[in-house]
Amino acid sequence: MRYIPNTDEQKREMLKEIGVSSFEELIKIIPQNLRLKERLNIPEAITESELEDKIYHIAQKNSNFFLMKPLVGAGAYRHYIPEAEKFLLQREEFWTCYTPYQPELSQGTLQSIFEYQSYISRLTKTEVVIPSIYDGASATGEAALMSLRLTHKNKIIVSNLLHPHYRETLKTYVAPHKPEIIELPYNNGLVDIKKLQNLIGEDVAAVIIQSPNFFGGIERLSEISEIVHSKDALLIDVIVESMSLGILKAPGEMNVDIVVGNAQSFGMDLNFGGPYNAYLATKKQFIRQLPGRIVGETVDVDGKRVFVMTMRAREQDIRRERATSNICTNHNLNVTASNIYLSLLGTEGLYQISLINTKSAHYLENLLIKSGKFEKVFDYPFYNEFLLKSKEDIDTVNKKLLENNYIPPLKICQFYKEESLKNVLLFAVTEILSRDDLNKVANILLE
Amino acid sequence: MKLIFEKSVKGRDGYSLPQDLFEDIKIEECLPVYGISRDKKILSEVSEVDVIRHFTKLSKLNYGLDDGFYPLGSCTMKYNPKINEKLASLSNFVYAHPLAPEETVQGCLEIAYDLNKLLCEITGMDEYTMVPAAGAHGELTGVLIMRKYFIDRGDIRRKMLIPDSAHGTNPASAAMAGFQVVEVKSNERGTIDLKELAELMDEDTVGLMLTNPNTVGLYDEGIEEIEKIVHGKGGLLYYDGANLNASLGIIRPGDAGFDVVHLNLHKTFSTPHGGGGPGAGVIGVKKNLTPYLPTPIVALDSVKKKYYWKDVGEKSIGMVRAFWANFPVLVKTYAWILSMGPDGLYNASETSIINANYVLTKLKEYYKPVYDRYCGHECTLTGKEYKKYGVKTLDIAKRLMDYRMHPPTIYFPHFEPYAEETIMVEPPESESKEMLDKFIDTMIKISNEVKTNPELLTTAPHITPIRRVNDALAVKRAILTYDDELKLKGELKYQDKDINF
Repeated sequence: MRYIPNTDEQKREMLKEIGVSSFEELIKIIPQNLRLKERLNIPEAITESELEDKIYHIAQKNSNFFLMKPLVGAGAYRHYIPEAEKFLLQREEFWTCYTPYQPELSQGTLQSIFEYQSYISRLTKTEVVIPSIYDGASATGEAALMSLRLTHKNKIIVSNLLHPHYRETLKTYVAPHKPEIIELPYNNGLVDIKKLQNLIGEDVAAVIIQSPNFFGGIERLSEISEIVHSKDALLIDVIVESMSLGILKAPGEMNVDIVVGNAQSFGMDLNFGGPYNAYLATKKQFIRQLPGRIVGETVDVDGKRVFVMTMRAREQDIRRERATSNICTNHNLNVTASNIYLSLLGTEGLYQISLINTKSAHYLENLLIKSGKFEKVFDYPFYNEFLLKSKEDIDTVNKKLLENNYIPPLKICQFYKEESLKNVLLFAVTEILSRDDLNKVANILLE
Repeated sequence: MKLIFEKSVKGRDGYSLPQDLFEDIKIEECLPVYGISRDKKILSEVSEVDVIRHFTKLSKLNYGLDDGFYPLGSCTMKYNPKINEKLASLSNFVYAHPLAPEETVQGCLEIAYDLNKLLCEITGMDEYTMVPAAGAHGELTGVLIMRKYFIDRGDIRRKMLIPDSAHGTNPASAAMAGFQVVEVKSNERGTIDLKELAELMDEDTVGLMLTNPNTVGLYDEGIEEIEKIVHGKGGLLYYDGANLNASLGIIRPGDAGFDVVHLNLHKTFSTPHGGGGPGAGVIGVKKNLTPYLPTPIVALDSVKKKYYWKDVGEKSIGMVRAFWANFPVLVKTYAWILSMGPDGLYNASETSIINANYVLTKLKEYYKPVYDRYCGHECTLTGKEYKKYGVKTLDIAKRLMDYRMHPPTIYFPHFEPYAEETIMVEPPESESKEMLDKFIDTMIKISNEVKTNPELLTTAPHITPIRRVNDALAVKRAILTYDDELKLKGELKYQDKDINF
């Protein structure tokens, strides 16, 4: 076996050195009646070329996604990833190393994380950034738990325009602590601020809002934060499409307490849903209640500037059941991916992509409405995702798009059952779709 | 070395920006005044060449598995096959949107479905969920499944038993799931004290979380008795799969009575660690627990020969993340299992056990083992003897770096009076005898240095890009971003030397 260097001869030699006559002697402690009597019933080993052939064939059973451009986002956005990022990321020093517990052998990963924390802090205008939690949904769960610990209250208000998967995950995460969860309804594509005023009281730990929301709508966070803070609750803003930060106001400017960001758009492929990554950004005063790892700057014995995992007294390997979270392995390689991606984009690149995503989404919306085949569902400001009600059956619409190599938009009824959202599609547009593509999409749907 | 921000030159760019073909559209008409940012967010401004050089240089400050020996105990740093990376990055997988119609992702679903069957056979379980993103995420999922099982039976239990040798994630996961953690002491043989277990296990206890072999590298010989005690009180047995690399083709957790199993695909199943993830922490359960799995699972409609997403149903614990899985990790796992076959898997465990016992035998005279008995796939030594020379285990670990090896896991496990100043060595099957001999010789050499020149150890490492780090200062200053550093400029004094390897 090419991944196992020791030969049978060497193994025999080693057994002799150990002082046993057979491998069995080493494992005789394992009760015989629990042992496998036969070989595992799995396929016999195949060669590397057979393996390649087999998986190529399985991959062929997917559509040819390379040629397909998505009109769907809903938590996973295809952006162009420069080859420089993919090339660098595959360096074995990033790819195969362990969690950077030994700073002397891990400055590459540690400095990269520090740079990323710095980027996210600037983008969100927050003081402290946890660089990696598995994904936006689990990070939302962690943020909710954090708000319970910080406020010692046990009620959470959640926008029902928070991504449905995030809402479900949040419920799973907090369930053992039995908080009361109240869903905040929407009105005309944005959260119902009047309802929020009625629902909120001194007993609320946190209000969780997604902006841009699941329908793409840009929430009035400043106004919301005033209401939330007037009752001493925490405002958690969930950003599912982080590219929007290029053009939208930073949550920190609007007095958000905890920002949860799905970082997938920052240099991560769709990969059928993961691995993505999430950051959790907040105020320094909340540092002790933060879950997960963070990197700080210090010096080594020679006085060089170096980086190290820090504030570790919160973590599971030190504090065990009193830790702020159980998180250990996170998505550090994705952090480096994002760091490289944001470095390539730079100030201007991030702004421009965000700008083009906004404009092209509005261009498509306008085209589709003008076609007479679609109408607006709500009159609301959106970033790069929007809802349209189709006059034609949406399954027919999506079939046409699929036949023309577009991954179709989301049928919103998959997640929202109300009558008003029947036959409604949620479109997403990124820079992957050119103006020609958008014209083509409109033409396909005109036929 | 310099931060990316310190290489920034205004006006430089590293991305081929598409031209704005939407000049006819005014951004002010798209976005509301309350939402639009007044100014651009300042990142860095560097060229593609700058980025390539910066990150290449950064990478050279890391030590990866392909650089050499990496014997981190309970981490299973085994070789990551290169073909698997290529297969996981096929464009049909990479560009598959998680919400694309089922008929367009049949290949992805087939891999998840097949892998489920393979993992069931390898571990003796009935059904796996591919959802959890990492080991601890799997633990939380598994423990929530146990919680839901009892709630569903109207049998509310509050406690979870966890051995003192367990990973910190076990008690942390149990606490997140709302359980009170009760520690079970290890006995003088390094395994679960059966008498104490029998006393602690009661009808207010959901069960026991066990790593087997445990983190000292020892198989729990009392596993049959443990199973009887836990199940006898209606409890469930949870298997932490961190150390499954000692069991492939030899013993299956399912056959030993475990009800819930998590596997770290980035350990036993060869997928890379990536500097701390992404991995995957899939969860396997016995039939009676399948209704509680997180939703959804992949199913096969055998009439239509189509794979589809199946909702787990009302009893499910719900979702634990967005979407379905860390999919490329599944592809790599699948590829590895197919490459190994049944004999390859057995060979992996057999070789890793021989490797660990070989290291133990050769080093036990120099570094007293926590328990002097044969081990599983890792051995736990100690540096206790050398404290009298003013040398700590940490110093021994740092000194290894000077010999261009990654240190083993140190100070873990930690439980008194047995496991102190521990050095946990895991030499997986991908390490050759020659490499082990080199490591053994080096460790012996270091044990001599302790006596002849202890300062060489206490000031180690010497040849690494940086040397020992001031952890306390990091906490005190709390410089967590470049802007934090800028605020302190003038107060900070760094040696101007650039880091280089």
